[in-house]
Amino acid sequence: MLGKEMRSRTRGLRYPLLLTFYLGLLSAGTVVFLWIYLDQSSQIHPRVGLSFYGLLVVGLVLLLSFIAPALAAGAISGERERRTYDLLLATRASLTGIVLGKWLASVAYLLFLVLAALPLLAVVYLFGGVPPSALAKAVLICLFTGLGYGALGICLSALIRRSQAATIVSLVLVFFLVFGTLVAAGIMADRDRRDAGPEYRPAGIPWYVFASPLAATAEVLPGAAGIAPGGGAPLINLVMNELMRQFQPRMTREYAMKMAYTRGYGQPPAESPEKTGGIAAWPVLARFALNQVLLAAISLAVAALAITPLKPWQARRARKTSYTDEIFLSESRSQNPESRM
Amino acid sequence: MIVTRGLVKRYGKVLALQGLDLEVPERSVYGFIGQNGAGKTTTLRILAGLLIPDGGGAEVAGRNVLGDPRGIREVVGYMPDFFGVYDDLRVGEYLLFYAAANGIRGATARKLRDDLLELVDLGHKREEFVDTLSRGMQQRLCLARALIHDPRVLLLDEPASGLDPLARVEMREILKELCGLGKTIIISSHILSELADLCTHVGMIREGRLLRQAPLGEMISGQRVRRFILRCDGPAGEAEAVIGGWPGAAVSNAAAGQVEFSLSGASADISALLKEVILAGSKVVHFAQTEQSLEDTFIQLAREVNGE
Repeated sequence: MLGKEMRSRTRGLRYPLLLTFYLGLLSAGTVVFLWIYLDQSSQIHPRVGLSFYGLLVVGLVLLLSFIAPALAAGAISGERERRTYDLLLATRASLTGIVLGKWLASVAYLLFLVLAALPLLAVVYLFGGVPPSALAKAVLICLFTGLGYGALGICLSALIRRSQAATIVSLVLVFFLVFGTLVAAGIMADRDRRDAGPEYRPAGIPWYVFASPLAATAEVLPGAAGIAPGGGAPLINLVMNELMRQFQPRMTREYAMKMAYTRGYGQPPAESPEKTGGIAAWPVLARFALNQVLLAAISLAVAALAITPLKPWQARRARKTSYTDEIFLSESRSQNPESRM
Repeated sequence: MIVTRGLVKRYGKVLALQGLDLEVPERSVYGFIGQNGAGKTTTLRILAGLLIPDGGGAEVAGRNVLGDPRGIREVVGYMPDFFGVYDDLRVGEYLLFYAAANGIRGATARKLRDDLLELVDLGHKREEFVDTLSRGMQQRLCLARALIHDPRVLLLDEPASGLDPLARVEMREILKELCGLGKTIIISSHILSELADLCTHVGMIREGRLLRQAPLGEMISGQRVRRFILRCDGPAGEAEAVIGGWPGAAVSNAAAGQVEFSLSGASADISALLKEVILAGSKVVHFAQTEQSLEDTFIQLAREVNGE
């Protein structure tokens, strides 16, 4: 399945066009950014590198968040529409194998997109100011984004007959997961703040926020205090700040402190005394990854269930009826040459 | 070999199958006949394991359709009436993909691909893209695909549908070759004359129920009505009049100098009728019984059920 899908992605016009469009978008953004900055100062400054990096990573993650499910949403419903669905199910291939193959093909293509964007990320190094670990984390975020949302697309493709409808539903769902979760968290936090009054202590970050890749990117982006991410583009600044706010002052304070420390003393500070136990203590990236892995597992399981003709609950019911005896009887009857209905 | 018992299938409010009881003997070529919407495709899809019946059961080569879906897929090769192809694959790759989907890889798969392409006469098209093939070639390719895992049973849903006469002949030749391979084949078709050429057994389905099933010979000769053709030197007006008035005879076609009619009755009746026709003044030059065709049988049976 993987091989076949790869073949069709390298032939035909559709996928190369998408790649062109995607790279074009990212490159255009880069060019615009550089143009604005180098207009103002001809200095190569790490701050510029940081803001550019922030912009690029967010842009990349958002693009991938929407491309992944949109592409995957045609996986199984496309087979139905092309009338190759029955042919596929009639083979001895296991249904989980089919679903996994489609999913891996979509993940492979997204990996390809991420790799294609790496040269753009390399521009960041012209400016410096971004540690390679952050870059690596950014790539990981992109990967996990593609993994999870791609699986979601495949699940919807299996559940919804028409590719177009599946694509739309997947885009809406992803929009909600990427932005809606953050907005919901913000609203909840606001309400808590109002209820609690002056003794307001920010609670932990609600789990559903980690469904959004933007949550994970917040960790690899510069903090709000002291450094302006996005620099001269005020809109980006606004979005970033909103994001930071979702993560409560504590987190941004911590991050800002870390940055200030590193700048001032050239080494990271000692571990913060506040430590919550369990999963909450995991780094943001890990929690996001966990979320995506769970999403992928559930989506793929549902997809496999959706395409099997004999659902487990039907099989159990059917095995209870014993007409196999009848059939065996008739088998012996049909050996009899005089048999006629 | 293939048995269904009381198969029931509903699509919403429509009852597609109402208790179908089929028996297909091993190594037979079973012609499955019925009007559009009678339930042929539904039955074949259930036997292929793609559809779950709402009632009743079916067994293919000892494997229960409901209890052993994987077993079914191993012994059944299915060719649907409508199917699509992956347009960005070449013919050879297309077959290799389905081979891999059936767990056949490497050198075995490649050899199988070449053999099957030879069987369906598409060997010269191996490197062409699938969507450049004509419809007839695509049907043959689909047939090759159905054979890729060497199934014991073949379910062919209208294999010759939409084909021009030449392509139909090609398809028929291939099917004849398959018949000699010892497989059990169910063919559903509307082109009854071709089925009569290929099949050993026939089953007629109507409105989700089995009308009749029997070996081919029995099916045709079992009819009590026989058909004749009579040709005269000159106009056949008198002959037509005599025959038309004869009890138990029905003129089916009267062209210039020729009368086709059917007669139900004993053999003695026929000679009496012929005598009357000659006495009426017709100059009979040709008189023969025509082969009861499968088509006639089907139409007669259908009419019987309708009460005509």
